[in-house]
Amino acid sequence: MADEAKKKEIFEKLRNGVIQYDEDACKEGAQEALDAGIDPNEAIFDGLVSGMEEVGRLFEAQEYFVPEILMCADALYAGLDILKPHCKQMDIGVKGAVVIGTVEGDVHDIGKNLVKMMFDVAGFTVYDLGRDVPLDQFVEEQLRTDSELVCLSAMMTTSMVGMPKVIEKIKAKNPDCLIMIGGAPTSKDLAEKFGADGYAEDASNALKEAIKMVSFLKKLRDEKAAANK
Amino acid sequence: MGDITIALTREIVHLNRGIALAVNRGLNRDTNAQLVLLQQWTEGWLKKRGFRSLSVPPDSDKKKSKYISRLYHLVSHKTAATLSGLGWIGKNGLLINGAYGSRLSWATVLTDAPFGPDLPITKSECGECELCVKYCPSGAVQGHLWSMDNPLQELVVYEKCRSLKKERPIFDEKPNCGLCITICPYSRNGQK
Repeated sequence: MADEAKKKEIFEKLRNGVIQYDEDACKEGAQEALDAGIDPNEAIFDGLVSGMEEVGRLFEAQEYFVPEILMCADALYAGLDILKPHCKQMDIGVKGAVVIGTVEGDVHDIGKNLVKMMFDVAGFTVYDLGRDVPLDQFVEEQLRTDSELVCLSAMMTTSMVGMPKVIEKIKAKNPDCLIMIGGAPTSKDLAEKFGADGYAEDASNALKEAIKMVSFLKKLRDEKAAANK
Repeated sequence: MGDITIALTREIVHLNRGIALAVNRGLNRDTNAQLVLLQQWTEGWLKKRGFRSLSVPPDSDKKKSKYISRLYHLVSHKTAATLSGLGWIGKNGLLINGAYGSRLSWATVLTDAPFGPDLPITKSECGECELCVKYCPSGAVQGHLWSMDNPLQELVVYEKCRSLKKERPIFDEKPNCGLCITICPYSRNGQK
């Protein structure tokens, strides 16, 4: 097992590789992590993803612009491509299916892809609809896959306004399905106002929230089943 | 080096200086590699001085796998070159440089370094010359004069140009027939 100092050094390398959009550093760091026997899941979350969170902060502070964000995402994926095949499925106690996509009118899907990646790693079955997804497609896909969770993402206020419409439609067809929203213009208050069941501030919170929501749903269903007996 | 503000969208408008790089087309595989090397030097030079930069690779249309490649189509090498005063867009739809004609392959580095821009070229210098129109085997070259005021003018019907590629499988690589390059008097440097 790798000692703590070495581990920290590698995580730092991955983190800085993402922040400084240095693909080669991310690849190197990822390989070093594997060679040193570090848990790939940890390397992803404490290294790469923590770097991307800092990038998000730099973007908000207007130190980074769109080109930097995209290059950082490329660096993150360069490291992820190496680590991902070695990932053990995380045991989070629940298994569930998720429909995820960026709502109509919005082509910004970096955040959505980050969340998707975290769900993947955590062992969720993910149905990714991509970006600029017509509102009805969310409803159809949820019905087709009977997913426990639908995640809606938006980067712009203009596309965010589609969210309550999707939520209403899904809830009408399937009240048992839970909906989470996320993205730059959204907030906890807005999520409540839109009728969503959850809100994710960033990618790692999205996973925590999702686990909470799916476990809650499972419990609810079990109780229902018990009551019907 | 040109001020390319007018050609940029919101995402990258802060990188409003375009450095146009060119090497002899040569029609071989090294051309793009050389351009990429030049871009790396340029980016390194700028980074050392604390400026932001974004390289748009020469074969930007072929790179799709990366996130950053979504920005590539926002910048045209020809636009950066004309705004840098390095040539105009000929009737053949290619950038024509006064000294080297269309024999150049282009790449662009965008930056926020506040360089004084060169004077753009806004009008075609093709004049009455219609050699590329006459010699194009697929009739793709329409013979219109380019001007920066009318950027949407269709100079070359690319459908027709591509159709030739299908008819003659020998042109399976990027160099299509290339007659519109070789026939251009500027490309031949006055030689017949």
